[in-house]
Amino acid sequence: MSENSTRRQFIEGSCRVLGFVTIGGAAGLLTQRASANAVYQVDPFKCTSCDLCRTSCVLSHSAVKAVNDFEKCGYCMLCPAYMDVLSKPDEKGIPTGKVCPQDALKRRVVGKVDADDPNNNYYEYVVDEARCDGCGKCVKACMAPAGNASLRLEIRYSRCVECNECAIQIVCPDRAIVRVAAPGMAPAAPVR
Amino acid sequence: MEPNDRDTTSVSVRDRLWKAWLPGVAAVGALAAVVAGSLRLRPTPKAAPPRPQPAGTPAGPGGQAATPAQPVRSLERTYSQSAGLGGTASPDRFLQSLTGIAIGPADVICVLGDDEIRVFDPRGNRLRSWQAPAHAGCLAVGPDGRVYVGSPDRIDAYDGGGTHVTGFTAGEKDKPADVTAIAVVGTDILVADASARIIRRYGPDGRPRGLIGNQNKTGGFILPNRSLDVGVDARGVVYATDTGRHQVTAWALDGSPLGRFGKFGMTAPEDFVGCCNPVNVALTPDGKVVTGEKMVARVKVYDPDGRLLAVIGPEHFDPSTTHIHLAVDSRGRILAADPVRREVKIFSLNQTLQERERP
Repeated sequence: MSENSTRRQFIEGSCRVLGFVTIGGAAGLLTQRASANAVYQVDPFKCTSCDLCRTSCVLSHSAVKAVNDFEKCGYCMLCPAYMDVLSKPDEKGIPTGKVCPQDALKRRVVGKVDADDPNNNYYEYVVDEARCDGCGKCVKACMAPAGNASLRLEIRYSRCVECNECAIQIVCPDRAIVRVAAPGMAPAAPVR
Repeated sequence: MEPNDRDTTSVSVRDRLWKAWLPGVAAVGALAAVVAGSLRLRPTPKAAPPRPQPAGTPAGPGGQAATPAQPVRSLERTYSQSAGLGGTASPDRFLQSLTGIAIGPADVICVLGDDEIRVFDPRGNRLRSWQAPAHAGCLAVGPDGRVYVGSPDRIDAYDGGGTHVTGFTAGEKDKPADVTAIAVVGTDILVADASARIIRRYGPDGRPRGLIGNQNKTGGFILPNRSLDVGVDARGVVYATDTGRHQVTAWALDGSPLGRFGKFGMTAPEDFVGCCNPVNVALTPDGKVVTGEKMVARVKVYDPDGRLLAVIGPEHFDPSTTHIHLAVDSRGRILAADPVRREVKIFSLNQTLQERERP
Protein backbone atom coordinates (compact mmCIF):
# COMPACT_ATOMS: atom_id res chain seq x y z
CA MET A 1 0.00 0.00 0.00
CA SER A 2 2.71 2.39 1.04
CA GLU A 3 4.87 1.24 -1.96
CA ASN A 4 1.99 2.05 -4.36
CA SER A 5 1.47 5.43 -2.78
CA THR A 6 5.15 6.30 -3.12
CA ARG A 7 5.17 5.34 -6.80
CA ARG A 8 2.10 7.47 -7.47
CA GLN A 9 3.67 10.39 -5.63
CA PHE A 10 6.84 9.92 -7.69
CA ILE A 11 4.90 9.95 -10.98
CA GLU A 12 2.86 12.98 -9.91
CA GLY A 13 5.99 14.85 -8.87
CA SER A 14 7.74 13.98 -12.13
CA CYS A 15 4.77 15.23 -14.16
CA ARG A 16 4.65 18.45 -12.16
CA VAL A 17 8.36 19.11 -12.72
CA LEU A 18 8.04 18.30 -16.42
CA GLY A 19 5.07 20.67 -16.67
CA PHE A 20 6.94 23.50 -14.97
CA VAL A 21 9.97 22.99 -17.21
CA THR A 22 7.80 22.98 -20.36
CA ILE A 23 5.88 26.13 -19.39
CA GLY A 24 9.05 27.94 -18.27
CA GLY A 25 10.89 27.01 -21.46
CA ALA A 26 8.04 28.12 -23.66
CA ALA A 27 7.75 31.42 -21.80
CA GLY A 28 11.49 32.00 -22.10
CA LEU A 29 11.44 31.20 -25.79
CA LEU A 30 8.50 33.55 -26.42
CA THR A 31 10.14 36.36 -24.42
CA GLN A 32 13.37 35.92 -26.35
CA ARG A 33 11.53 35.94 -29.66
CA ALA A 34 9.47 38.98 -28.66
CA SER A 35 12.51 40.98 -27.57
CA ALA A 36 14.32 40.03 -30.75
CA ASN A 37 11.45 41.48 -32.81
CA ALA A 38 11.05 44.63 -30.71
CA VAL A 39 12.99 47.82 -31.22
CA TYR A 40 13.19 51.23 -29.61
CA GLN A 41 11.23 53.96 -31.38
CA VAL A 42 10.06 57.51 -30.73
CA ASP A 43 6.35 57.97 -30.04
CA PRO A 44 5.58 61.18 -31.99
CA PHE A 45 2.48 61.86 -29.90
CA LYS A 46 4.53 62.01 -26.69
CA CYS A 47 7.74 63.57 -28.03
CA THR A 48 8.26 67.26 -27.31
CA SER A 49 11.58 67.59 -29.21
CA CYS A 50 13.48 68.47 -26.03
CA ASP A 51 16.93 67.98 -27.64
CA LEU A 52 17.92 65.07 -25.31
CA CYS A 53 17.90 62.64 -28.25
CA ARG A 54 20.84 64.54 -29.67
CA THR A 55 22.86 64.61 -26.46
CA SER A 56 21.96 61.31 -24.77
CA CYS A 57 22.44 58.70 -27.51
CA VAL A 58 25.54 56.56 -26.97
CA LEU A 59 26.57 57.26 -30.55
CA SER A 60 28.58 60.39 -31.21
CA HIS A 61 26.10 61.26 -33.99
CA SER A 62 22.67 60.32 -32.64
CA ALA A 63 20.66 57.46 -34.15
CA VAL A 64 17.60 59.71 -33.92
CA LYS A 65 16.82 61.61 -37.12
CA ALA A 66 14.11 63.98 -38.27
CA VAL A 67 11.73 62.49 -40.84
CA ASN A 68 9.27 64.33 -43.06
CA ASP A 69 5.87 62.76 -43.68
CA PHE A 70 5.14 63.85 -47.24
CA GLU A 71 1.44 63.00 -46.92
CA LYS A 72 1.08 65.67 -44.25
CA CYS A 73 3.59 68.22 -45.54
CA GLY A 74 2.13 71.40 -47.01
CA TYR A 75 5.12 71.95 -49.36
CA CYS A 76 5.09 75.54 -48.08
CA MET A 77 7.18 78.28 -49.58
CA LEU A 78 7.50 79.80 -46.12
CA CYS A 79 8.19 76.63 -44.17
CA PRO A 80 8.58 77.47 -40.46
CA ALA A 81 10.71 74.35 -39.99
CA TYR A 82 13.11 75.34 -42.75
CA MET A 83 13.47 79.08 -42.29
CA ASP A 84 13.64 81.02 -39.07
CA VAL A 85 10.56 83.16 -39.57
CA LEU A 86 11.82 85.72 -37.05
CA SER A 87 15.15 86.23 -38.79
CA LYS A 88 15.97 89.26 -40.92
CA PRO A 89 13.96 89.26 -44.16
CA ASP A 90 15.58 89.83 -47.57
CA GLU A 91 14.39 92.41 -50.11
CA LYS A 92 11.46 90.13 -51.07
CA GLY A 93 10.40 89.84 -47.43
CA ILE A 94 11.53 86.22 -47.10
CA PRO A 95 13.40 85.35 -43.87
CA THR A 96 17.08 84.67 -44.42
CA GLY A 97 17.89 82.56 -41.35
CA LYS A 98 17.48 78.79 -41.14
CA VAL A 99 16.10 76.76 -38.26
CA CYS A 100 18.42 73.76 -38.55
CA PRO A 101 21.86 74.46 -37.03
CA GLN A 102 23.29 71.60 -39.13
CA ASP A 103 21.60 72.77 -42.35
CA ALA A 104 20.20 69.24 -42.65
CA LEU A 105 16.79 70.19 -44.03
CA LYS A 106 17.04 70.62 -47.79
CA ARG A 107 14.38 71.85 -50.18
CA ARG A 108 13.76 71.84 -53.90
CA VAL A 109 10.99 73.22 -56.05
CA VAL A 110 8.54 70.60 -57.29
CA GLY A 111 5.93 70.82 -60.02
CA LYS A 112 5.64 73.79 -62.34
CA VAL A 113 8.33 76.32 -61.49
CA ASP A 114 7.71 80.06 -61.44
CA ALA A 115 11.12 81.69 -61.40
CA ASP A 116 9.69 85.19 -60.95
CA ASP A 117 7.55 84.67 -57.87
CA PRO A 118 8.61 82.07 -55.29
CA ASN A 119 5.13 82.33 -53.75
CA ASN A 120 3.77 80.45 -56.76
CA ASN A 121 5.92 77.39 -56.11
CA TYR A 122 5.65 74.25 -54.01
CA TYR A 123 8.74 73.01 -52.20
CA GLU A 124 9.66 69.50 -51.15
CA TYR A 125 11.61 69.21 -47.89
CA VAL A 126 13.98 66.29 -47.35
CA VAL A 127 16.17 65.59 -44.32
CA ASP A 128 19.84 64.99 -45.02
CA GLU A 129 20.37 62.24 -42.45
CA ALA A 130 24.16 62.44 -42.65
CA ARG A 131 23.90 65.95 -41.22
CA CYS A 132 20.84 65.61 -38.95
CA ASP A 133 21.75 65.11 -35.30
CA GLY A 134 18.20 64.69 -33.99
CA CYS A 135 17.98 68.00 -32.15
CA GLY A 136 14.31 68.31 -33.13
CA LYS A 137 14.33 72.06 -33.76
CA CYS A 138 12.57 71.56 -37.11
CA VAL A 139 10.04 69.18 -35.55
CA LYS A 140 9.18 71.75 -32.91
CA ALA A 141 8.85 74.53 -35.48
CA CYS A 142 6.54 72.42 -37.67
CA MET A 143 4.12 71.62 -34.86
CA ALA A 144 0.53 72.84 -35.18
CA PRO A 145 -0.73 75.49 -35.33
CA ALA A 146 2.42 76.96 -36.94
CA GLY A 147 2.81 74.08 -39.37
CA ASN A 148 1.17 70.82 -40.42
CA ALA A 149 3.22 68.72 -37.95
CA SER A 150 4.61 66.68 -40.82
CA LEU A 151 8.09 66.38 -39.29
CA ARG A 152 8.82 63.92 -36.49
CA LEU A 153 11.82 62.30 -34.85
CA GLU A 154 12.53 58.66 -35.55
CA ILE A 155 15.22 56.19 -34.44
CA ARG A 156 16.92 54.90 -37.55
CA TYR A 157 17.46 51.16 -37.20
CA SER A 158 20.38 51.29 -39.58
CA ARG A 159 22.28 53.35 -36.98
CA CYS A 160 20.78 52.19 -33.66
CA VAL A 161 23.11 49.77 -31.84
CA GLU A 162 20.24 48.29 -29.76
CA CYS A 163 21.69 48.96 -26.33
CA ASN A 164 20.46 46.68 -23.57
CA GLU A 165 18.71 49.73 -22.17
CA CYS A 166 18.36 52.74 -24.48
CA ALA A 167 20.30 55.68 -23.06
CA ILE A 168 17.74 58.12 -24.43
CA GLN A 169 14.85 56.17 -22.92
CA ILE A 170 16.43 56.53 -19.48
CA VAL A 171 16.51 60.33 -19.63
CA CYS A 172 13.48 61.07 -21.83
CA PRO A 173 11.21 63.31 -19.72
CA ASP A 174 8.17 62.54 -21.88
CA ARG A 175 8.59 58.72 -21.86
CA ALA A 176 8.48 59.00 -25.63
CA ILE A 177 10.97 56.19 -26.34
CA VAL A 178 8.92 53.02 -26.51
CA ARG A 179 9.40 49.39 -27.56
CA VAL A 180 7.57 48.57 -30.75
CA ALA A 181 7.42 45.66 -33.14
CA ALA A 182 10.42 45.79 -35.49
CA PRO A 183 10.38 47.22 -39.06
CA GLY A 184 8.23 50.14 -40.23
CA MET A 185 10.78 52.57 -41.56
CA ALA A 186 9.70 56.09 -42.57
CA PRO A 187 8.41 56.39 -46.11
CA ALA A 188 10.97 57.44 -48.65
CA ALA A 189 10.64 60.69 -50.59
CA PRO A 190 7.95 60.35 -53.23
CA VAL A 191 9.07 60.25 -56.84
CA ARG A 192 7.58 63.13 -58.82
CA MET B 1 31.82 74.28 50.58
CA GLU B 2 28.67 74.53 48.52
CA PRO B 3 28.83 78.27 47.70
CA ASN B 4 32.50 77.94 46.80
CA ASP B 5 31.79 74.99 44.57
CA ARG B 6 28.96 76.90 42.88
CA ASP B 7 31.24 79.91 42.33
CA THR B 8 33.92 77.75 40.81
CA THR B 9 31.40 76.15 38.43
CA SER B 10 29.89 79.48 37.35
CA VAL B 11 33.34 80.93 36.72
CA SER B 12 34.37 77.98 34.57
CA VAL B 13 31.19 78.23 32.48
CA ARG B 14 31.67 81.95 31.93
CA ASP B 15 35.32 81.32 30.99
CA ARG B 16 34.27 78.66 28.54
CA LEU B 17 31.77 81.05 26.96
CA TRP B 18 34.25 83.88 26.63
CA LYS B 19 37.14 81.75 25.55
CA ALA B 20 35.38 79.38 23.14
CA TRP B 21 31.90 80.43 21.99
CA LEU B 22 32.00 84.17 21.82
CA PRO B 23 35.20 84.40 19.73
CA GLY B 24 33.69 81.79 17.40
CA VAL B 25 30.47 83.78 17.03
CA ALA B 26 32.50 86.95 16.49
CA ALA B 27 34.54 85.24 13.77
CA VAL B 28 31.41 84.03 11.96
CA GLY B 29 29.90 87.53 12.23
CA ALA B 30 33.03 89.12 10.80
CA LEU B 31 33.09 86.63 7.94
CA ALA B 32 29.43 87.33 7.20
CA ALA B 33 30.10 91.07 7.20
CA VAL B 34 33.00 90.64 4.77
CA VAL B 35 30.89 88.46 2.43
CA ALA B 36 27.98 90.88 2.60
CA GLY B 37 30.30 93.80 1.89
CA SER B 38 31.88 92.11 -1.09
CA LEU B 39 28.45 91.27 -2.44
CA ARG B 40 27.31 94.82 -2.01
CA LEU B 41 30.34 96.03 -3.95
CA ARG B 42 29.21 94.10 -7.05
CA PRO B 43 26.57 96.02 -8.99
CA THR B 44 23.33 94.07 -9.41
CA PRO B 45 22.52 93.68 -13.10
CA LYS B 46 19.15 95.18 -13.81
CA ALA B 47 16.76 93.41 -16.14
CA ALA B 48 16.03 95.40 -19.27
CA PRO B 49 12.47 96.74 -19.27
CA PRO B 50 10.20 94.88 -21.70
CA ARG B 51 9.69 96.60 -25.02
CA PRO B 52 6.15 97.63 -25.81
CA GLN B 53 4.46 95.29 -28.27
CA PRO B 54 1.58 96.17 -30.56
CA ALA B 55 -1.59 94.18 -30.17
CA GLY B 56 -1.27 90.74 -31.68
CA THR B 57 2.50 90.85 -32.16
CA PRO B 58 3.60 87.25 -32.57
CA ALA B 59 5.90 85.53 -30.12
CA GLY B 60 8.90 83.67 -31.41
CA PRO B 61 9.92 80.11 -30.59
CA GLY B 62 10.22 79.73 -26.85
CA GLY B 63 7.73 82.51 -26.25
CA GLN B 64 10.02 85.49 -26.74
CA ALA B 65 8.28 88.36 -28.43
CA ALA B 66 9.44 89.44 -31.83
CA THR B 67 10.92 92.93 -31.98
CA PRO B 68 8.43 95.23 -33.64
CA ALA B 69 9.75 96.68 -36.88
CA GLN B 70 7.35 99.59 -36.80
CA PRO B 71 6.30 101.87 -33.97
CA VAL B 72 3.04 101.18 -32.22
CA ARG B 73 0.28 103.22 -33.77
CA SER B 74 -3.40 103.63 -33.14
CA LEU B 75 -5.69 101.58 -35.30
CA GLU B 76 -8.80 103.11 -36.72
CA ARG B 77 -11.28 100.85 -34.96
CA THR B 78 -11.49 99.06 -31.63
CA TYR B 79 -13.70 96.11 -30.80
CA SER B 80 -14.60 94.55 -27.49
CA GLN B 81 -16.39 91.36 -26.62
CA SER B 82 -20.05 92.06 -26.02
CA ALA B 83 -21.54 88.57 -25.81
CA GLY B 84 -20.81 84.91 -26.29
CA LEU B 85 -22.41 81.63 -27.23
CA GLY B 86 -21.73 78.08 -26.12
CA GLY B 87 -19.19 78.84 -23.39
CA THR B 88 -18.51 76.33 -20.63
CA ALA B 89 -21.20 77.84 -18.37
CA SER B 90 -23.81 77.95 -21.13
CA PRO B 91 -26.56 75.30 -21.36
CA ASP B 92 -25.94 75.42 -25.13
CA ARG B 93 -22.26 74.60 -24.81
CA PHE B 94 -20.67 72.44 -27.47
CA LEU B 95 -19.25 69.25 -26.02
CA GLN B 96 -17.37 67.75 -28.95
CA SER B 97 -16.97 70.09 -31.88
CA LEU B 98 -17.65 73.53 -33.31
CA THR B 99 -16.88 73.75 -36.99
CA GLY B 100 -18.88 76.55 -38.57
CA ILE B 101 -20.92 79.70 -38.08
CA ALA B 102 -23.14 81.79 -40.36
CA ILE B 103 -25.62 84.65 -40.12
CA GLY B 104 -29.09 84.40 -41.62
CA PRO B 105 -31.94 86.83 -42.29
CA ALA B 106 -32.95 88.92 -39.24
CA ASP B 107 -29.48 88.21 -37.84
CA VAL B 108 -30.27 84.69 -36.69
CA ILE B 109 -27.07 82.85 -35.83
CA CYS B 110 -26.55 79.36 -37.25
CA VAL B 111 -23.82 77.28 -35.66
CA LEU B 112 -22.55 73.87 -36.74
CA GLY B 113 -21.25 71.75 -33.87
CA ASP B 114 -21.75 68.47 -32.04
CA ASP B 115 -23.19 67.03 -35.29
CA GLU B 116 -26.08 69.51 -35.08
CA ILE B 117 -27.12 72.74 -36.69
CA ARG B 118 -28.25 75.08 -33.93
CA VAL B 119 -30.12 78.29 -34.63
CA PHE B 120 -29.99 81.17 -32.14
CA ASP B 121 -31.67 84.55 -32.11
CA PRO B 122 -29.39 87.64 -32.13
CA ARG B 123 -29.45 87.70 -28.31
CA GLY B 124 -28.14 84.14 -28.15
CA ASN B 125 -31.32 82.27 -27.22
CA ARG B 126 -31.59 78.92 -28.94
CA LEU B 127 -34.53 78.74 -31.34
CA ARG B 128 -34.19 75.26 -32.79
CA SER B 129 -31.69 72.62 -33.83
CA TRP B 130 -31.52 69.57 -36.06
CA GLN B 131 -29.18 66.76 -36.98
CA ALA B 132 -26.36 67.66 -39.39
CA PRO B 133 -25.23 65.30 -42.15
CA ALA B 134 -22.31 63.00 -41.36
CA HIS B 135 -18.88 64.68 -41.37
CA ALA B 136 -20.39 68.15 -41.95
CA GLY B 137 -17.66 70.79 -41.72
CA CYS B 138 -19.09 74.14 -42.80
CA LEU B 139 -22.33 76.01 -43.40
CA ALA B 140 -23.85 79.13 -44.95
CA VAL B 141 -27.26 80.75 -44.95
CA GLY B 142 -28.89 82.16 -48.07
CA PRO B 143 -30.95 85.35 -48.30
CA ASP B 144 -34.10 83.19 -48.33
CA GLY B 145 -33.12 81.58 -45.02
CA ARG B 146 -32.03 78.28 -46.53
CA VAL B 147 -29.19 76.68 -44.60
CA TYR B 148 -26.49 75.06 -46.75
CA VAL B 149 -24.29 72.48 -45.03
CA GLY B 150 -21.03 71.23 -46.54
CA SER B 151 -19.70 67.70 -46.03
CA PRO B 152 -16.40 66.55 -47.61
CA ASP B 153 -17.86 66.13 -51.12
CA ARG B 154 -21.51 67.14 -50.75
CA ILE B 155 -23.80 70.10 -50.15
CA ASP B 156 -27.15 69.70 -48.40
CA ALA B 157 -29.78 72.44 -48.15
CA TYR B 158 -32.39 72.80 -45.39
CA ASP B 159 -35.21 75.27 -44.98
CA GLY B 160 -35.20 77.51 -41.93
CA GLY B 161 -37.11 74.92 -39.94
CA GLY B 162 -34.57 72.19 -40.55
CA THR B 163 -36.36 70.21 -43.27
CA HIS B 164 -34.03 68.80 -45.91
CA VAL B 165 -34.83 70.51 -49.21
CA THR B 166 -32.17 69.44 -51.66
CA GLY B 167 -28.60 68.28 -51.98
CA PHE B 168 -25.93 67.64 -54.58
CA THR B 169 -22.45 66.20 -54.92
CA ALA B 170 -19.66 68.73 -55.33
CA GLY B 171 -16.66 68.17 -57.53
CA GLU B 172 -16.14 66.00 -60.55
CA LYS B 173 -16.60 62.28 -61.05
CA ASP B 174 -12.93 61.41 -60.76
CA LYS B 175 -12.09 64.40 -58.56
CA PRO B 176 -14.39 64.59 -55.54
CA ALA B 177 -14.32 67.99 -53.85
CA ASP B 178 -12.98 68.66 -50.39
CA VAL B 179 -15.55 71.24 -49.28
CA THR B 180 -14.11 73.57 -46.63
CA ALA B 181 -16.44 76.59 -46.96
CA ILE B 182 -19.68 77.73 -48.60
CA ALA B 183 -21.03 81.17 -49.49
CA VAL B 184 -24.33 82.16 -51.07
CA VAL B 185 -24.75 85.08 -53.46
CA GLY B 186 -28.19 85.55 -55.03
CA THR B 187 -29.13 82.13 -56.35
CA ASP B 188 -25.53 80.99 -56.66
CA ILE B 189 -23.86 78.67 -54.21
CA LEU B 190 -20.09 79.08 -53.99
CA VAL B 191 -18.26 76.01 -52.76
CA ALA B 192 -14.61 76.22 -51.68
CA ASP B 193 -12.89 73.05 -52.89
CA ALA B 194 -9.54 72.69 -51.13
CA SER B 195 -8.74 69.55 -53.09
CA ALA B 196 -8.89 71.26 -56.50
CA ARG B 197 -7.75 74.59 -54.91
CA ILE B 198 -10.61 76.51 -56.54
CA ILE B 199 -14.09 77.83 -55.77
CA ARG B 200 -16.89 76.02 -57.57
CA ARG B 201 -20.01 77.98 -58.47
CA TYR B 202 -23.30 76.08 -58.55
CA GLY B 203 -26.94 76.94 -59.23
CA PRO B 204 -29.64 76.11 -56.68
CA ASP B 205 -30.22 72.78 -58.45
CA GLY B 206 -26.58 71.82 -58.11
CA ARG B 207 -25.64 72.48 -61.75
CA PRO B 208 -22.10 73.88 -62.20
CA ARG B 209 -22.02 77.50 -63.32
CA GLY B 210 -18.31 78.18 -63.35
CA LEU B 211 -15.06 78.31 -61.46
CA ILE B 212 -13.41 81.05 -59.44
CA GLY B 213 -9.73 81.26 -58.58
CA ASN B 214 -8.25 79.38 -61.51
CA GLN B 215 -7.38 82.48 -63.52
CA ASN B 216 -3.88 82.90 -62.15
CA LYS B 217 -0.42 81.52 -62.82
CA THR B 218 -0.88 78.41 -60.73
CA GLY B 219 -4.43 77.65 -61.87
CA GLY B 220 -5.69 77.81 -58.30
CA PHE B 221 -4.96 78.88 -54.78
CA ILE B 222 -1.83 77.78 -52.89
CA LEU B 223 -3.11 75.93 -49.84
CA PRO B 224 -0.39 74.30 -47.73
CA ASN B 225 -2.86 73.81 -44.86
CA ARG B 226 -5.50 72.28 -47.18
CA SER B 227 -8.11 74.85 -46.20
CA LEU B 228 -9.88 77.45 -48.31
CA ASP B 229 -12.44 79.97 -47.05
CA VAL B 230 -14.76 82.18 -49.05
CA GLY B 231 -17.01 85.17 -48.35
CA VAL B 232 -19.12 87.56 -50.42
CA ASP B 233 -19.68 91.27 -49.79
CA ALA B 234 -22.91 93.21 -50.34
CA ARG B 235 -21.89 94.09 -53.93
CA GLY B 236 -21.34 90.44 -54.85
CA VAL B 237 -17.53 90.57 -54.83
CA VAL B 238 -16.12 87.19 -53.83
CA TYR B 239 -13.25 87.17 -51.30
CA ALA B 240 -11.13 84.06 -50.73
CA THR B 241 -8.12 83.18 -48.62
CA ASP B 242 -4.91 82.33 -50.46
CA THR B 243 -3.04 81.02 -47.45
CA GLY B 244 0.21 79.97 -49.12
CA ARG B 245 0.61 83.41 -50.65
CA HIS B 246 -0.47 85.10 -47.38
CA GLN B 247 -3.15 87.05 -49.21
CA VAL B 248 -6.84 87.81 -49.36
CA THR B 249 -7.99 87.69 -52.97
CA ALA B 250 -11.03 89.35 -54.57
CA TRP B 251 -12.89 87.92 -57.59
CA ALA B 252 -15.91 88.74 -59.71
CA LEU B 253 -18.61 86.10 -59.96
CA ASP B 254 -17.51 85.25 -63.51
CA GLY B 255 -14.08 84.28 -62.15
CA SER B 256 -12.09 87.30 -63.23
CA PRO B 257 -9.59 88.54 -60.62
CA LEU B 258 -10.33 91.93 -59.04
CA GLY B 259 -7.44 92.36 -56.65
CA ARG B 260 -5.54 91.03 -53.70
CA PHE B 261 -3.80 92.27 -50.58
CA GLY B 262 -1.55 90.95 -47.84
CA LYS B 263 1.96 89.60 -47.43
CA PHE B 264 4.01 87.48 -45.06
CA GLY B 265 5.53 89.21 -42.04
CA MET B 266 6.16 88.35 -38.41
CA THR B 267 6.35 91.85 -36.95
CA ALA B 268 3.98 94.34 -38.55
CA PRO B 269 0.40 93.64 -37.41
CA GLU B 270 -1.03 94.14 -40.90
CA ASP B 271 1.06 91.21 -42.23
CA PHE B 272 0.11 87.55 -42.02
CA VAL B 273 2.32 85.27 -39.93
CA GLY B 274 3.52 81.69 -40.28
CA CYS B 275 3.38 79.26 -43.17
CA CYS B 276 -0.17 79.85 -44.28
CA ASN B 277 -2.52 82.62 -43.32
CA PRO B 278 -5.19 84.03 -43.21
CA VAL B 279 -7.24 80.89 -42.70
CA ASN B 280 -10.70 82.48 -42.52
CA VAL B 281 -12.47 85.43 -44.06
CA ALA B 282 -15.81 87.25 -43.68
CA LEU B 283 -17.27 90.57 -44.87
CA THR B 284 -18.95 93.33 -42.90
CA PRO B 285 -22.11 95.03 -44.25
CA ASP B 286 -20.04 98.14 -45.08
CA GLY B 287 -17.56 96.12 -47.15
CA LYS B 288 -14.71 95.69 -44.66
CA VAL B 289 -12.75 92.44 -44.78
CA VAL B 290 -12.47 90.41 -41.57
CA THR B 291 -9.71 87.78 -41.41
CA GLY B 292 -8.91 85.00 -38.96
CA GLU B 293 -5.35 83.80 -38.40
CA LYS B 294 -3.69 80.79 -36.83
CA MET B 295 -0.28 80.51 -35.12
CA VAL B 296 -1.03 83.91 -33.66
CA ALA B 297 -4.75 83.37 -33.17
CA ARG B 298 -6.24 86.76 -33.95
CA VAL B 299 -8.93 88.45 -35.98
CA LYS B 300 -8.19 91.55 -38.06
CA VAL B 301 -10.35 94.00 -39.95
CA TYR B 302 -9.12 95.60 -43.20
CA ASP B 303 -10.62 97.96 -45.69
CA PRO B 304 -10.95 96.46 -49.21
CA ASP B 305 -7.59 97.99 -50.17
CA GLY B 306 -5.81 96.12 -47.42
CA ARG B 307 -5.40 98.92 -44.87
CA LEU B 308 -5.53 97.49 -41.37
CA LEU B 309 -8.35 98.96 -39.30
CA ALA B 310 -8.58 96.79 -36.20
CA VAL B 311 -7.03 93.83 -34.42
CA ILE B 312 -8.86 91.54 -32.01
CA GLY B 313 -5.93 90.04 -30.17
CA PRO B 314 -4.87 86.49 -29.36
CA GLU B 315 -5.95 86.81 -25.72
CA HIS B 316 -9.48 85.97 -26.88
CA PHE B 317 -8.67 82.66 -28.57
CA ASP B 318 -6.96 79.37 -27.87
CA PRO B 319 -3.33 79.60 -29.02
CA SER B 320 -3.45 76.12 -30.57
CA THR B 321 -6.43 76.76 -32.80
CA THR B 322 -5.92 76.33 -36.54
CA HIS B 323 -9.13 78.15 -37.48
CA ILE B 324 -11.28 81.01 -36.29
CA HIS B 325 -14.60 80.66 -38.10
CA LEU B 326 -16.09 84.08 -38.78
CA ALA B 327 -19.44 85.70 -39.51
CA VAL B 328 -20.65 89.30 -39.36
CA ASP B 329 -24.24 90.35 -38.66
CA SER B 330 -26.13 93.35 -40.08
CA ARG B 331 -25.06 95.53 -37.13
CA GLY B 332 -21.40 94.88 -37.87
CA ARG B 333 -20.87 92.58 -34.89
CA ILE B 334 -18.10 90.06 -35.54
CA LEU B 335 -18.88 86.50 -34.47
CA ALA B 336 -15.74 84.42 -34.02
CA ALA B 337 -16.01 80.68 -33.37
CA ASP B 338 -13.00 79.08 -31.68
CA PRO B 339 -13.11 75.34 -32.47
CA VAL B 340 -10.64 74.43 -29.71
CA ARG B 341 -12.46 76.17 -26.89
CA ARG B 342 -15.76 75.39 -28.64
CA GLU B 343 -17.25 78.81 -28.00
CA VAL B 344 -18.44 81.74 -30.06
CA LYS B 345 -17.35 85.23 -29.07
CA ILE B 346 -19.27 88.24 -30.31
CA PHE B 347 -17.31 91.47 -30.75
CA SER B 348 -18.92 94.87 -31.12
CA LEU B 349 -17.37 97.99 -32.56
CA ASN B 350 -16.45 100.39 -29.75
CA GLN B 351 -15.14 103.50 -31.36
CA THR B 352 -13.52 104.72 -34.51
CA LEU B 353 -10.32 106.74 -34.41
CA GLN B 354 -12.25 109.92 -35.28
CA GLU B 355 -14.57 109.34 -32.35
CA ARG B 356 -11.65 108.70 -30.01
CA GLU B 357 -9.82 111.85 -31.09
CA ARG B 358 -12.91 114.06 -30.89
CA PRO B 359 -12.54 116.45 -27.91
